Order: sequence, then structure tokens, then C-alpha cells
Amino acid sequence: MIRLTVNGEAVELDCDPDKPLLWALREDLALTGTKYGCGIAQCRACTVHVDGRAMPSCQLPVARVAGSSITTIEGLGETALHPVQQAWISANVPQCGYCQPGMIMATAALLARNPSPSDADIDNAIGNLCRCGTYPRVRAAIHAAAALATPPA
Amino acid sequence: MSAGLDRRGFLRGTLAAGGALAFDLTIPLRAGAGEPALDVHHWIVIHPDDHVTVRIPQSEIGQGATTALMQLIAEELDLDLALTDWTFYDPQTNVSQGNVYVHTSTLASWGVKMLFEPMRLAGAQIRALLLASAATQLDASAADLVIDAHRVRDPGTGNSVGFGTLAARAAAAPLPDAASVRLKAPQAWRYIGRALDRNDVPAKVTGEARYGIDVQLPGMKYAAVRQAPVFGGRLRGFDAAAVRELPGVRAVVRIDAGPSGYTVPPTLWDVIDWQMDDAVAVVADSWWQAERAIEALPIEWDDGPHAGVDSAGIARELAAALDAPGEIVRSEGDAAAALAAATRVIEAEYHYPFLEHAPMEPMNCTALVEGRRVEAWAPTQYGDEALRIAAYAAGAALKDARFHLTLAGGGFGRRLHNDYVSQAVQIARQVPGVPVKLIVSREESLRRSYYPPPLAARLRAGLDGDGALTAWQSHVVQGTAVEQPYGFTRLAYPVPHVEMRYGQIDTPPGFAWMRGVGHTQMAWMNHGFLSEIAHASGVDTLTFQLALLDESRVDPARADQGDAVARVRRYRRLLEAVAAQAGAPPEGIGRGRGHAVYDMSYVPGYRNSCIAIALDVTLDGHGGLRVDDVTATVDCGTVVNPQLVEQQIQGGILFGLSNALYGKITLREGRVEQSNFHDYRLLRLAEAPAIAVHVMPSDAPPTGIGEGAVPVVIGALVDAIHAAGGPRIRALPVMDHELALRADA
Ligand code: FES
Ligand code: FES
Repeated sequence: MIRLTVNGEAVELDCDPDKPLLWALREDLALTGTKYGCGIAQCRACTVHVDGRAMPSCQLPVARVAGSSITTIEGLGETALHPVQQAWISANVPQCGYCQPGMIMATAALLARNPSPSDADIDNAIGNLCRCGTYPRVRAAIHAAAALATPPA
Repeated sequence: MSAGLDRRGFLRGTLAAGGALAFDLTIPLRAGAGEPALDVHHWIVIHPDDHVTVRIPQSEIGQGATTALMQLIAEELDLDLALTDWTFYDPQTNVSQGNVYVHTSTLASWGVKMLFEPMRLAGAQIRALLLASAATQLDASAADLVIDAHRVRDPGTGNSVGFGTLAARAAAAPLPDAASVRLKAPQAWRYIGRALDRNDVPAKVTGEARYGIDVQLPGMKYAAVRQAPVFGGRLRGFDAAAVRELPGVRAVVRIDAGPSGYTVPPTLWDVIDWQMDDAVAVVADSWWQAERAIEALPIEWDDGPHAGVDSAGIARELAAALDAPGEIVRSEGDAAAALAAATRVIEAEYHYPFLEHAPMEPMNCTALVEGRRVEAWAPTQYGDEALRIAAYAAGAALKDARFHLTLAGGGFGRRLHNDYVSQAVQIARQVPGVPVKLIVSREESLRRSYYPPPLAARLRAGLDGDGALTAWQSHVVQGTAVEQPYGFTRLAYPVPHVEMRYGQIDTPPGFAWMRGVGHTQMAWMNHGFLSEIAHASGVDTLTFQLALLDESRVDPARADQGDAVARVRRYRRLLEAVAAQAGAPPEGIGRGRGHAVYDMSYVPGYRNSCIAIALDVTLDGHGGLRVDDVTATVDCGTVVNPQLVEQQIQGGILFGLSNALYGKITLREGRVEQSNFHDYRLLRLAEAPAIAVHVMPSDAPPTGIGEGAVPVVIGALVDAIHAAGGPRIRALPVMDHELALRADA
């Protein structure tokens, strides 16, 4: 049994300790919002928060996150939409949308440690792949989310 | 479920209704339980509480079909979008009811173009039925009635009746004759032309959106697959015992080579029926277990006749074919004589590699075979054919098959092939009664795909003593493909003497269309060569192109003279517009702007969207390249949703740039060498330019918007790199070149 916290709830996983967190989330917990794109930590479609840090979950064995607190796209903004999700909706960011949970999780983690990122900060933090070409809207929505989260004094 | 937790609240992503029901994309029940929702002539469903569900007869691969097509039918039905949702059409209905949805294959940027009339007409016809039904109930004249919030109201008396009450009669009456209904005049449109928010966005930012890979059925198992690594290879055998004891493994099964389906209705044009090779699959409790087991499974392949094929050999064959005469596919005047008489001849060879679509959601399909019935779920671009393939692979009668479209994580042409549907159904057939979700790993998705083939081209231009372009001769040879010479023969710039030749060599991988099709593969070469001619003439490319775009240069004797003149005018108008909108060109060492304009016209008279692009690059002199800004000017006819147009142009530009800068699939020993995103590189956010999109007002019928930017941006890119002082890019991808600044720059 591997114990961890997922979206604020205590969870016990009865699976191979080597099983990547991505597949445990998707298969054992039916949290399919976290996506598989490459399995080799290249595309970041599988990004979740591990104790507040954005990490690809596809190469992270569940044994390594025992005792950790995981947040997935389903748990972001549990009671209301997170400012990043609100900004994403306003800017109509998604096309196919498949990469977007990962983009949003990466952005939420970025804004948590850097409330008003520069373009260069965004370039460095958001390495997620999007084949549909949502990058210009992603960038605009990150700036908009930063403004939403930190209203001018 | 092995997790000890309370599903409620925590598992917001879990399926509420559990299993099949939630993924049966038929209509969710609404309030007013007891009374069924009513299907009204296949296009809409009316619920007892007056809500409406619209059936979308296209796949949603990111292009916004569920929003744009909704706008069309909502316009004529005066739907209230707050009271309306959508579902995908049912391929079984379309196949068994004589193509009632008119156009269901999602390709060629045709969704809005092909359904602009039919979906408005359906809306108007159903409106007429609802009004007639209401007229009886309200004892009024149908002509006096108005629709408001899904109620039909008599403004004279104030009496009204809801859609839910009218549905039964509307569903039972035959659709009125198309000629008897009148569509709204554009001035009266309330939805068409508006930048409505996408109706699929909220679910796509909360994780609730369900893609094929997210399908969950009770008792479902997972499958991983390996197809013959060499194209055309056969399966000799495998040692199932070696993996049967691995954790979670349930079955090891073979998948037979066979058809992977048509990609367009066979009635539309002569099409290849695509094939897939033998494969092996492991079924397990978890996909991760299945994938580990198939990785460990000893499989013996007969590599077949293509085991020695590699990219260097294909390049040699292409070069040899360029020296052969080839078939003349366009000829005007006497190009050979004009070249012989030319004061100056410019010659160049261009190359384009194999590519792969790499949509972010890997190929997948979930299937269940029970008795004589088969049911399958998948993201596909052609649901009708997925249904037929599912029936075929299950050995079932077509009437005993159901196929459910899901959201697709991109498509770009890859999902026109339904090989993964056949694979999943063949697996499910061998574990009857057990639903199986096949996920094709990224590696397998990349290595066993269908590919736009490589090509080589030789171009020659002749200039006379005054520096005027008198002759254009080109010869393109490509690998196995559907004939696509239009990609270079539809050069719209008038040249007096033209000769174009085309040929193919055999290449083993299956052919695929990819976003922008033959235009993407070839039109950039025409642009690049125009840029070379301009440079040789000592003029910048923009000036050179505008000078060529002179309708008086079109030979009045040409059979397609009207079309040719119209294209020259349109190109000129867009090129002038983009030049103005892009503003002052960048200055300084290593900086440059490129220009291109194109309209993806397949044959004379085929009117497609026309797009002009100005693109600025910076070369740092040490091999680094940055695309700084892109300005696009677009004429796509009537705009249904300007916001979707902007998205598709942005997406097309970035797709084109990604492929042009990095895209390359190579073969070695008959196998694809690349395997994942570390060696099949895609553009990242940090590399994406700022993009400005300007849409020209037009009241012409809508033309497609999904693909048109792709060929243009590549043309503008290679022009810009040279304008910035960089090398002449004659072979893609750009990353294969040293991007040093030229001595003459
Ligand atoms: S699936 Fe984890 S980074 Fe791609
Ligand atoms: S929106 Fe389709 S991959 Fe990003």
C-alpha cells in the first residue's frame, strides 16, 4: 500500500511501486484529466503538482511520491475555477485541448512562486508541447491570470 | 478500483453514470424525466424541458467544429445557446440513412465549407416544422410566429408553446422541401460572424473533457501493440509464455494485416484503401503493465522486401528519377526554347523529408466485442469508416456495429486512417465480452504511422536581357503518394513559358495527407525559388512578387484565363495588405523579413482561402535563429467565427514553423529511426513568434481555414532567412543547415 494525498484526500494505492504516477492517477484513481503524451518527460502533458512543484508524472514511480501531496487538474480550484482556468476560458486558449491540463498545471505552479512573470520567465517555465499552436494564447492568458490573481492595489 | 477512498467530490473526473452509459454519446437525459428526448430528423434532439442537443457531423480535432457548426444551425433555428448543447453524430445513422449528414469526413479544411449550406438548411427546415406545429396549437398563422428561448410565441396574443411540446409533431412530419424554405439574409444573422466563445473550452480547462484515451468501461482491460517494425513485414511468431507470468498480463494476441480504411468517401474520388501490417498485442490489467510486457515479448518478424530501405537510398532514387523525363503535368509556351534563349538561367534543387503528424494524443481505441456485436470508441477524423472498419475487423454485420466519436487530441490528417480501430477490435474479438482500451505508445505511434513522403525537385528559370522572367521549368519527384502535383503546378504568378513535370518512386511507408497536403510539401519551393530569382535580379522578394502579379501578364489565350486573372488580383491585394499591416521591416545585421502568398487551389476554379504572410527573423550569426513576428492577412470568404479563424491561422503558422524548422523522419534498415519527442522535435512556447492575424471582410461563401497558413509560412520563412543574410534553404528541415551569415549579406 502506498499512501499519498491526492487533491486533498488521503489515498491508498495498491499497485506496483514502480508504476508511474501518471498511470496510477489515470487507471487506479480514474483521474483522466492528466494526459499521456510521450512517457519520457518531454511533452509535459502529464504535469501535476507534487508538494506544490510542477512535475511530469509519467516517469515518477508512485513509491517515490509516498507521503506526498499531489494536485491534478481535477483538484485545481476545488471550489471555484482557479484564476489560471478563468484566464484560459476568457482567452479561449484550447484548440484540441489535450495539452492544456499540463499547461495549466505548469502555469499555476509558476504563478504560485512568481506572481507576475516576465515573458522570459514564461519561456523558461512552460516547456509543455502543444501541437495545435496555442502558444500565443497561452502566453497572453498567463499574463492575464497573473493580473487576475494579483489585482492592482 | 484499488484506491480506498470516497469517490464523491474527490474524483471530479470520474464518470458519474459509470461506464458505457457515460460514454454512449447519445443524449443525456434532462429534467422532465419520464418523457423521452426526441430526435428530430437526425440533426437535433429536443428534450422535454425545451433544451436542444445539436448533433455535430464532424470530428473535433481542435479546429472548433462543435462551435462553428453549432452557429450555423442555431442561426436558422434561433436557438438560445444557453439552452443548447452538442453531441457527435452517430456514424451508424449516417451510414444506414444514406449520408443524411452530407459530409462527415474531417479533412481538407472542409467542415464549414461543406456544411455551411446543409446545416443552415436543416435548421430552416426544422424551424418550419416547429412553426407549423405551433401554428396548430396556438391557432395562429405560422408566418406570424417568433422563436424566443426555445418557445414559439404569437406576438399578437402573447401565447407561446415550448419546443419540448412541439417536438413529437415536428419529428413525425416529413422535412419540408429544401426549395420551400428561405435562409436568413446575412444582415439578419445573429450568430454567424460573431466571435463566440468555443463551447468546448470549459471542459478542456477542468480536465473533464473526455478524449478517446479517457474512455472507461466497467471491467475494462488495456492493450499495448507492436506492428511489424519494417513496413510490409510479416509476423512469424512470438513466445507468449515468456510474458504470461508478468504482473497483470491477461492475453497475448496476434493482429492480422489488412485494410485500415478509406480516408474519404470512396464516392468522392478514387482513393487508395490503406493497409496496415501484422502486429502483436498484450492485454493486461494496466496499460503500463501491457506496455512493459510487449516490450519484453520475444517476437519474430519476417522483415520482408523492405528490410534494406534507408533514407540515403531513397534520396539516391529521387535524384535518379529527377534525371528521367517525368510526365508533363503543365505546359504553356515553349519553356525549353525560352531557357535556351535566356540571358540568364537560374537553377536549384529542393528537398522535403518524410514527416509525421504527431498529434499530442497518441493513437487509441476502446472496443468491446460481444456475440455478433461490436462497439468501439475512438478519436478519428472519419467516423463512418471507423464504423465500417470495426464491423469488418469483428466479422460483424454493419448493422451490428456501433461506433462512438470522442474528442480528439489533434489529428492533422493522421486520424483519417483507422488502423488503430482495426487493431483494437481485433484484440477485443479475442477476449470476447471484455472491453479493451488499446493505447498505441508514442514510440509506436511515431514509428508505425502514415507519412507524407519525401520529395526532390529541380527548378529552372530563364530571365531575358531586361531581367524579365520568361521561363519556368520544374520537375518534382516524390515517394509513394496520392497524386498531388497541384502542390507546385498551381503557381499563380504569370510566366510566359512554363513546363512542369511530375513523377513518383516507390517508398514503403503508407502515405498520409498532413495539414496542408501537397501544397505544404511543394508550394514553399516555388516561393523559395521566386525568392532566388528576385535576388538574382537584384530586387527584394516583395517588390519582385508584386511586379509579377500583373494581370496583363496573363496570356488571354489560356483556357483558365479568368481563374488565372482572379488569382493574380487576389494575391496582389493580400500581399499589399500584409506588407502594410506588418509595418516597417526589421533593421540590423542578421534581421530580415520574408513574404509569401498562396491560396491552396487544387485545380482551376477551386476557390480556397488566400493567405499572405510577412515573417521576421533574427539570425544571431552563431547558428541561432529566432522567428520574431508573423503577420498574416487572410481572405477566407464569409467568416463564421473570427475567433476560430484567428486560432486556426495561429495554429497553422506554428505547425508549419515546427515542421519546417525541425520536422524529419528518416528510415534505416526499413525502420523509422525517430521514436519520441527527444528526436522528433516540435516547436516549444519559447520559440513561438508573436502572430498578428488580419481577416479581410468578404461575403463570398466560406472557404477552409485549417490548413491554408501552413504552406505560406514555410515560403515566408525561407525567404526571410535569406533576407536576413542567412543561407538559401533548399532542403527542410532548417535545423540541418548551418545558419551562418553570408559574406555578401
Ligand atoms: S507524458 Fe509525461 S512528459 Fe510527456
Ligand atoms: S491544444 Fe492541441 S496540443 Fe495543445
